[in-house]
Amino acid sequence: MSPLLSVEDLVIEFDTARGRRRVVDRVSFDLAPGEVLGILGESGSGKTMTTMAVLGLVAGEPGVMGGSITLRDGDDEIGLLSDLEQVISRKGKRVSKNCRKWRRMVHARMRPLWGRMMTAVFQNPRHSLDPLMTVGAQVEESIALALPDLTAAQRGEKAVDWLDRVQMNEPGRVHGSYPHELSGGMCQRAMIAVALARRPKLLIADEPTTGLDTTVRAEIVELFRALLEEERRSMMYISHDIREVLYLADRVIVMKGGRVVETETAENLRLGRGQRADYTAMLLSAADLPSGAAA
Amino acid sequence: MGDSRLRVGLYLSGTVVGLVLLLGVIAPFVPYDPADAVDYDQLLQAPGMGHIFGTDGQGRDVAMRLLKGTEAFFLPGLMAAALATVFGALCGAVSGYAGGWLRGGVLGTMQLIDTLPRLVFIILVCTILNPSIYLIAFVAAVLFVPSIATVIRRRVEALGSEDYILAHVAHGFRPVRILLYHILWLQCRPLLIRQATYVFGYVLFVEVALSYLGDYGVQEPDPSWGNMVAQARGLRGVSAWPWAVPAVAIVVTIAGFLAFGNLLARADEEEVR
Repeated sequence: MSPLLSVEDLVIEFDTARGRRRVVDRVSFDLAPGEVLGILGESGSGKTMTTMAVLGLVAGEPGVMGGSITLRDGDDEIGLLSDLEQVISRKGKRVSKNCRKWRRMVHARMRPLWGRMMTAVFQNPRHSLDPLMTVGAQVEESIALALPDLTAAQRGEKAVDWLDRVQMNEPGRVHGSYPHELSGGMCQRAMIAVALARRPKLLIADEPTTGLDTTVRAEIVELFRALLEEERRSMMYISHDIREVLYLADRVIVMKGGRVVETETAENLRLGRGQRADYTAMLLSAADLPSGAAA
Repeated sequence: MGDSRLRVGLYLSGTVVGLVLLLGVIAPFVPYDPADAVDYDQLLQAPGMGHIFGTDGQGRDVAMRLLKGTEAFFLPGLMAAALATVFGALCGAVSGYAGGWLRGGVLGTMQLIDTLPRLVFIILVCTILNPSIYLIAFVAAVLFVPSIATVIRRRVEALGSEDYILAHVAHGFRPVRILLYHILWLQCRPLLIRQATYVFGYVLFVEVALSYLGDYGVQEPDPSWGNMVAQARGLRGVSAWPWAVPAVAIVVTIAGFLAFGNLLARADEEEVR
């Protein structure tokens, strides 16, 4: 089966006071339809930047500087970075990019894909919801885009249904609540409802449990598992917690220093089968999991 | 500010604003012929049952002229507040959200307008064109667009990098909706309320100033709060009512509008928090 998403040799760089720094270095991976891909790595490993590049939302300059990202929408193949070379100019060793033009091009290309093809659940759920709208209104806004023919009353019912599906207690009450009236875990559930109500083909969960209490983290991971069992969908689950990734993912890529150091099935990692890269072995042993043989 | 002080301030300033709005709405429907209103038998009457604010030096009822005087600034003030707020918000949103030549063009135009001294420019326009309060209101609105646009642009730029705006983009919400509804309406509403009341107060101030000075404002015998004060200038020491009533009305109205805008915006902000 052809992959839903293919990333090849992705390069992301940023200009810093000490010169240009490469934060993602020739990262490649595929994601099959219905597959859950875990991206594992420590802070600064480039996992979030990689997913932001897939979303077309890399902030900072120059940003994406090479590689390709291909998304399959039915029979169409959409090259998200296909025009990248048009905005990059090379004069000797100096490589520069017209970032403003690139941003415009990316937004034009991504606008029909955002929400419908892919959307994201970000870390810090409190800041990911509009503080001035009720949770229900935010879910309804997603529903309105996914199902434009519904009446306002039907949207309201659907929103309550989504809040119920993300295992929110008293979904009717939460529908009329503002984000500041909810706990962090409830905000993340609401955020998941907003994202899934958009009916994306690919859901990107970028460290969705960061900053939450241990028990709430477990509940959110369990919620993702339940939602995947209810309806199989493609998902990228980014985390620095190996247990969460192994629990949810079918396949895992491990990143360190902007590079992919290992790609393996979650099952092999769980069972300690095969040879492991040193960094993966360290992560596994730190989590008290069988680390397998060193590479 | 404590909740109770905020509420009291809102009630007081809201009462002033409500009263002015009421007067402004009913004034056009009250029949009044300024030429017929002169009554030399009723010169400089003290407040009483027949004339609640007394009469002026031509025996005209001060209360009636105060009521009809609201016509001079009420609609023009509302028009200027609406124009300045809408165009200021749009220019601020465009310059804060867009890039390239559009942003540069809007910012350049705003900076150009912002260099003009407001009152002097309004007087200059009145000397060149046929002066009317609607022209004055329009020019005042244009002159206020840059200050409103600057406030909104800063807010839009700050909000552009907020996580929830990024999330809205990722969910596929339309940029126009994000900009107009999520940013301008939900986030910038307190700022816009504050600016709108400020513009209204400014138009009243300009109308009063020009009418007081005489050449470009409302001309006698038509009433305006400014020419009522000007007309009664010579009565100091004889009777205070003809100039004190409109003078107090001017101060209370401008202060009331500014306070109401500020307090309403603060109440909105506190509710948001």
